[in-house]
Amino acid sequence: MSPLDAAGDPTQEVAHLVPDVETLARRLAAADHLVDEGLGTSIFLSLRLPQPLLLEGEPGVGKTEAARSLAKVLDTPMIRLQCYDGIDAAEALYEWNYPRQLLAIRLADSSGKQLSEQDLFGPEYLIRRPLLAALEHPGPRPAVLLIDEIDRADDDFEAFLLELLGEAAVTIPEIGTIRATHPPIIVLTSNRTRDLHDAVKRRCLYHWIDYPSAEREVEIVRRRVKGASQTLAVQVAGAVARMRDSDVQKPPGIAEAIDWLAALSLLGVRRLDECAIDRTLGSVLKYSEDQEVIRAAGLSQLVTSVG
Amino acid sequence: MTAFELETVQLDLPAVAGAFGRRLHAAGVPVTAERSARFATALALVRPVARRRLYWTARAVFVSDHSQTKTFNAVFAAVFGFLDERAIPALPDADTVATAPDECERSERPRGAPSPPRPNGVAPASGAGRRSRADEQRDAQDVEVPTVASDDELLQHKHFDALEPHELAELYRMMARLRLATPTRRTRRAHRDQRGNRIDLRRTLRGSLRTGGEPVRLARKRRQVVRRRIVMLCDISGSMEPYARAYLQFLTCAAGSNGVGLSRSEAFAFATRLTRLTRALASRSPERAIQRAAAAAPDWASGTRIGDALKTFNDRHGRRGMARGAVIVILSDGWERGDPMLVGQEMERLARLAYRVVWVNPRASAPGFAPRAGGMAAALPHCDALVSGHSLHALQQVLGAIACERADDAAPGATWRPPEPVAEPEQEPWGSATPVQGSSIAMPSGYGPSRGNTTPGWRTP
Repeated sequence: MSPLDAAGDPTQEVAHLVPDVETLARRLAAADHLVDEGLGTSIFLSLRLPQPLLLEGEPGVGKTEAARSLAKVLDTPMIRLQCYDGIDAAEALYEWNYPRQLLAIRLADSSGKQLSEQDLFGPEYLIRRPLLAALEHPGPRPAVLLIDEIDRADDDFEAFLLELLGEAAVTIPEIGTIRATHPPIIVLTSNRTRDLHDAVKRRCLYHWIDYPSAEREVEIVRRRVKGASQTLAVQVAGAVARMRDSDVQKPPGIAEAIDWLAALSLLGVRRLDECAIDRTLGSVLKYSEDQEVIRAAGLSQLVTSVG
Repeated sequence: MTAFELETVQLDLPAVAGAFGRRLHAAGVPVTAERSARFATALALVRPVARRRLYWTARAVFVSDHSQTKTFNAVFAAVFGFLDERAIPALPDADTVATAPDECERSERPRGAPSPPRPNGVAPASGAGRRSRADEQRDAQDVEVPTVASDDELLQHKHFDALEPHELAELYRMMARLRLATPTRRTRRAHRDQRGNRIDLRRTLRGSLRTGGEPVRLARKRRQVVRRRIVMLCDISGSMEPYARAYLQFLTCAAGSNGVGLSRSEAFAFATRLTRLTRALASRSPERAIQRAAAAAPDWASGTRIGDALKTFNDRHGRRGMARGAVIVILSDGWERGDPMLVGQEMERLARLAYRVVWVNPRASAPGFAPRAGGMAAALPHCDALVSGHSLHALQQVLGAIACERADDAAPGATWRPPEPVAEPEQEPWGSATPVQGSSIAMPSGYGPSRGNTTPGWRTP
């Protein structure tokens, strides 16, 4: 199939770009995001079925990053909706531009024109919030819509999302149903502070992101921190793995490992030693209790000798 | 089917997808026809060349929660053979699968099946649904006291550890009438309200069209007010065994009271480990709920590790948001096998997260009670209220403590200095089967407000 044939039809566009799981994984790797077979397959299915993807996992394992890299691969904007308690349609979907509406009423009044309600609630007075912006994305490839930390929103909001998740459409009372011409690729993330409703889960593919193996983590952090030495990256990955096994409140995620490696290389550290760990511990463990636990166990045991 | 062949699947996609889906469903993963159909589509898309690809495809489609992974792995292994890849988490043995809490619960009640009938014709939820908001708010202050016949009156004051089995059923009926109302908090979501404090621009504008573009009437809105979440942690260790059943019933009532205008609740049980019971208790039938809860918590009537349980709760649930701004109720006698230091430490963390922490200790009703149990003494400085809750009547005080707004006063630990911790007795007091002192009909005389009957500073309306 030539690219010309594909133009226009969003599903064909995506299918052309991502014909199989291997290609997707390769393209994600080119965008500096390494995925394992599980995450790769899930993202692939989510693109091609197409169906929203629900990602869960410990904080800092790259849930949000996966959506961002996916947008890079598809070369489309990533539209992010950060959920919080009490988020509602006006903040997630659309809001009317009241000052502009008032102005229009005044103008019509002074110039003696008739202004109908349809005029006042037309698209030009609509402020597009993330969900609507994602639906109205003109293409050629669908936008990536990241609904981040959905568990923070209340359950009413979940119900409100069902139409979007199931049919890539939203209904605005004043205008009617807006259906996406290029249905967005939807990625939801959750930290499991509460169980999501079954109705949401039913509409989504599900993937639990685990901590990566030590070798993979070395690859990941080296891609993220340019110029860090292999030795240091291996030592950091080893130390972080040991911290996860120990009795800390908040086990460091990949994000913390990357921060730590960045901090160490900024300080010009070539090899991990107790002194270097001591100076930079705050960039990997963010609770003072956790730092105490690790210090009490001895910083020296975090240091692995690399040949 | 031992070996998986590409050809077979391509010939027979719907059949394989359907059969695999049925096996999963039988094992307790909620599988619908929709998911099986989706699986068939997905297989056509990925054209699995290796068993590993097949595994991840099936998992992405069928699994909808991390807790189902174990069961899924077992079924996958049984149908398609084991995976030797290291990438796949180790396959659990059969009996862990059978007792995993979520799975048990789901296999018992398939999706869409009618919920079991309510006990004794009592309908807690629908009764609650009819109640107006004003009622709820009144309840927050004065908690409905069941006023019933004399038999009920007796049960009211009967110690939970002296109950007969038939009395437990009766007790449930009475408990179902208790209204659990936590204090409220404001959300960011707004409601229309004529006397609200914010102007609702959307409706004002709409209204102004009717009056020639002049916003004559200002529509107003007000921030919505919702009840705080309640999280109950119930001790089911040996020393609490006489009370555990009654308290689980209480938890079931609380879980059943999820509804509009009512508090959302989460329930956990602990002895040596922490088990989340919210799902298990979400049944209208108290019997079934308690059976499920007992099946879900394998450490029933064993030793107590309050510190570890609290730590697990804080790490896995509390810190992530469940405890934030919530009312935490801990039902335990505070006997700790582990290190009381850990209890103190974890209680401090919990108190920092939560709105209020209420500790329900059935032994607090005994005359001359002092928090001698190591865990209790360590936890007390971080509790906002210590109540006894040893009988239905005393549960009213628990409800009062739950409904109480956070007082600015210090925790009871600050105003009521516990006596210097006495050396712990060799044996925990449940060693003998003697009921706790003061388990007679009336409220024990030694139980007074000075001992933090509810929070100091709780003002009666």
